[in-house]
Amino acid sequence: MLRRIVSRLATGALTLLLVTLLVFGLIQLAPGDPLAVQDDGMERLSRADRAALAAYYGFDRPLSAQYASWLGRLLKGDLGTSIRDRRPVLEKIAERLPVTLSLNALALFLIVALSVPIGAAAALNPGSIADRWSATATYLLYAVPIFWAALLLQRLFAVRLGWLPLYGSGGVTGIPRFANMVLPVVCLTYGGLAYVSRFVRANLIESTRFETILSARARGLTRFTILVRHGFRLAAVPMLTLAGFLIPALFAGSVIVETVFQLPGLGWLFIDAAYQRDVPVLLGVTLISGTAALAGILFADLTYALADPRVRRG
Amino acid sequence: MAERPRRPAALNRGLALVLALGGVAALAPLWAQDPLRIDLGATLESPSGAHWLGTDALGRDLTARIAHGGRVSLSIGILTSLFSLAIGVPLGALAGYRGGWTDATVSRLIETIACVPSLLLAIALLAMSPALLRGIPDVLRVALVLAFAGWIPVARYMRGEFLRLKSAVMVEAARAAGASDLRIMVRHLLPSALAPVLVTASFAAASAILVEAALSFLGLGVQPPQPTWGGLLSDAREQIDRGWWLAVVPGLALYGAVLGFNLIGEGIRDLLDPRAT
Repeated sequence: MLRRIVSRLATGALTLLLVTLLVFGLIQLAPGDPLAVQDDGMERLSRADRAALAAYYGFDRPLSAQYASWLGRLLKGDLGTSIRDRRPVLEKIAERLPVTLSLNALALFLIVALSVPIGAAAALNPGSIADRWSATATYLLYAVPIFWAALLLQRLFAVRLGWLPLYGSGGVTGIPRFANMVLPVVCLTYGGLAYVSRFVRANLIESTRFETILSARARGLTRFTILVRHGFRLAAVPMLTLAGFLIPALFAGSVIVETVFQLPGLGWLFIDAAYQRDVPVLLGVTLISGTAALAGILFADLTYALADPRVRRG
Repeated sequence: MAERPRRPAALNRGLALVLALGGVAALAPLWAQDPLRIDLGATLESPSGAHWLGTDALGRDLTARIAHGGRVSLSIGILTSLFSLAIGVPLGALAGYRGGWTDATVSRLIETIACVPSLLLAIALLAMSPALLRGIPDVLRVALVLAFAGWIPVARYMRGEFLRLKSAVMVEAARAAGASDLRIMVRHLLPSALAPVLVTASFAAASAILVEAALSFLGLGVQPPQPTWGGLLSDAREQIDRGWWLAVVPGLALYGAVLGFNLIGEGIRDLLDPRAT
């Protein structure tokens, strides 16, 4: 068991290293000469000055050495500074993080809170009308582009009915007001329902094959009682692991949702950086989101291994 | 990919959607008006005989813009799908068939790229790509950028297929007859994996169309004045209190294309494995 955990963590660390290599590769692709920024693009620097600057920043060294020192700074939490306002990238990410985290936490909670009853209702009578209709409805929702849904919801609830704000945080800094979060969270939620409710359904159906469930049925308990008392206990672990896999999708959704609704989170920071070609910020956010996704996948794998006796012994 | 109840009609519905949209888009130059002609005397008109779906803020015909936008979306979807197959099929096949170090290397590569949300990767690459892919037309540039992450699901699926197929009797027979690994993979295994290739190809097209529209919506994909579905929806954002058709119709076209390619993929998968949910 210990060996299994250690080897999974080792491949995880290797993947993390490869993610940093990917991001470093992207930095090398960035347009423009890195010294041109220092030079204001005026080419006033003499050849000797340029060489001195290149040596100072390490641009004259081989790429492998540049990568090593970049990685060293990364380990100390130094993601570079923004080209736009010269502030540390990590600081900019840290101040945007609460907005993105609260949006995604709410969306994740809603996805699970809605998918569990939908999946359970479907699992109660597989093949029934409720089962097929919930599958079709969530499947049709799943393919709706987020920015289209956002646009239509804005038209209906903000412009037509005037119930909710069109965009913005509601005049506060940091985490937006509740009313300003409603539409963004809805946009992040609906797409996940199909996958998660089918997942819940499959796991509940699977769990009803276990002996505890068979004996419960032999004692004359109804299918509903059995599902609630025993099924969920058995299906809880797979559901927990699923949360880990949802992180990358939710994060990609945040980029669009925060931009459309103008919420000052990581996603909006990322899009702004893309418009301004602010490479350090762009890649800092890419790296953070990749790391978060990897952590989610590792968390999912490890909880699964720890919780399931069959995997634990295997 | 979400699972849904098995429905033999999925393939037909998907094909109908894609062929209808594809026909409208492909033949656009023959029947539609000029999507770029500005008519400031007829801005934001509602649907009428002269303009079936009305006009936009510059008086351009929305029908023509949607039809021409479809050309961009569908070409990028198909091109990305082809590029993704060109990378994903050989890498996935090699990893599944050879196992060992080849598999470990390809699997790490897959896991690495899969960690970064593909929309973020595409945006980062596009922000860098003017220097990287200078002089390449927008459509090709976006398709190449999307294929950078698009081959991942293709390779995963192919790896699984080849892993399963390599222990088949025909492989042993071919090897006993002295066939090389390459010959076994191309002549014996690939034909058996052809249907899975089609499944992944249509899912790849659906996801490329979706991401392309998101990029155009954000102003980072194919650039104006070329009409795109994402760009049309971005224009509709500027007119949020005006005619509903500006927001609804381009979105329906986009939704239809994504759903169509997804349904084709599901349909072929159902044909392959009737036991799948």
